[in-house]
Amino acid sequence: MLLVGVPVLGLFGILEAGRSLAAPPSVSGDWTVEFDSAANCAGLARLRQPALTISQSGTEARITLNDGRATTLEASINESSLTAKSLTAAITGKAAQRVLEGKVELDGCGPVAFRAVRQAPAKKRGE
Amino acid sequence: MLNLFQLVLQIAVILVAARVVGFLFQKINQPQVMGEMVAGILLGPSLLGWVAPSMSAALFPPASLSYLNALSQVGLVVFMFVVGLALNPRELHEYGHAAVLTSHVSIVAPFCLGGVTALYLYPKLSDDSVTFTGFALFLGAAMSITAFPVLARILSERGLLHSRMGTLAIACAAVDDVTGWCILAYIVVLVRVTHAARPAWVTMAGSLVYVGLMVFVVRRFLPALERAHRQRGKLSDNIVALIVVLVLASALATEWLGIHLLFGAFLMGAIMPKSQEFTSYLLHKFESVTVVLLLPLFFAFTGLRTRIGVGGSGAIWRYSAIVIVVAITGKLGGSMLAARLAGTPWRDAASLGILMNTRGLMELVILNIGLDIGVISQTMFSIMVLMALVTTFMTTPLLEWIYPSLLLRAELEEIARKNVA
Repeated sequence: MLLVGVPVLGLFGILEAGRSLAAPPSVSGDWTVEFDSAANCAGLARLRQPALTISQSGTEARITLNDGRATTLEASINESSLTAKSLTAAITGKAAQRVLEGKVELDGCGPVAFRAVRQAPAKKRGE
Repeated sequence: MLNLFQLVLQIAVILVAARVVGFLFQKINQPQVMGEMVAGILLGPSLLGWVAPSMSAALFPPASLSYLNALSQVGLVVFMFVVGLALNPRELHEYGHAAVLTSHVSIVAPFCLGGVTALYLYPKLSDDSVTFTGFALFLGAAMSITAFPVLARILSERGLLHSRMGTLAIACAAVDDVTGWCILAYIVVLVRVTHAARPAWVTMAGSLVYVGLMVFVVRRFLPALERAHRQRGKLSDNIVALIVVLVLASALATEWLGIHLLFGAFLMGAIMPKSQEFTSYLLHKFESVTVVLLLPLFFAFTGLRTRIGVGGSGAIWRYSAIVIVVAITGKLGGSMLAARLAGTPWRDAASLGILMNTRGLMELVILNIGLDIGVISQTMFSIMVLMALVTTFMTTPLLEWIYPSLLLRAELEEIARKNVA
């Protein structure tokens, strides 16, 4: 009883302590991107919507551009920002209406401002 | 669209890899299944996709994997039925107190340590679409599982199946399996319920009604199958087909309830009559196709989802080391101490801990469920697969060290002498 009961009580304590932990914001999924209307270059013309697909593992993410060549960028997530070699974005909004706002450098383009909205928002799991 | 040529080619490549690597692992005293698991990993991005990315992309394009997955899931449904079928509650009665204590501690200890590890890993390897509760409970459940079929195979290959420690290990693993799958079913319901089409109470009440129906109604009709086997010494194709339909119906019921296909298949196997001749006949009927053909597909599908050491930072190796140490400490240490407290000699207690630490195939099944329902990330999945491989690989050499073959032979001779007397 002691060998099983005490650890089970401990588990409840762990679950309670874990409630206050914050995980990185979820950015996995397909993203529809709007670019600054003034920008006009070859890199942008190649993109098809959803322009970004992001797969995430905790604080690390892989961004795949829908540019016909499936260009991938390794990215890191830090509290509320997404940073890759040629992309930086602020992550805003709640999980269901998450938005990325930032700048991206594509082939033949200078930094272009963009705003991305997730197509299929991730649902809250595990509650 | 289905590319039949590609699918058949994939199956052929997987089977060849599984048999070759399995054979090589047998040469180093590892169970065949360990080699098959490693073969699956080698066919994925961890090796083939790394050294020959174009060949990997041509052989396993992402669009083709859904067919491979479908086949492997069918194989798993049959396999889980076989696992349930091989469970025998009588084995538990023989060892009563020691088996119950050891198996419960061997679940609770790694479960709690898994929870503590979740406190560290959740902010690093999860995201805010998964709650801490779901992540921690899943990690705990995944750490506490024992691979009943692999354990039985290791015991059988080493001739330990009928030794004192072997029967105790089988009894503990049987309890672990049932408890572990019940806990996992609860976690899956918990995780799925927030975005399921039906309310939580329907899933909960439906699950209770389903289990009640299976145990108190369906189970009463199953001895008729055993009688048919006893009368003719075999089962007709129609009866075998009926058993398959029952397994599928049970699997569909649990899937519809929002638990998982595999729980239904497992329960159907668990409530089957347990006479030696009947279970051996069914195991023989179902096991060969599943083990030889369908399980390697599951290992390959798992391997294709696993990215050991690919694109990960150095921190991933640190997290892997932590998970492996915690898993071994909780399972091996917990089982060993509990068995010792229940009066088992030190050598047997240590051997029991080593055997209970075997996670193998069952761990992969659970991890795939976790990745499918989104409670663990790709990186966490890969880390846990690595842990499953390490804990399974270490079983045989550790067991040989603690329980050398010479000692084992002497014990078995003594048992034989007692039986004759």
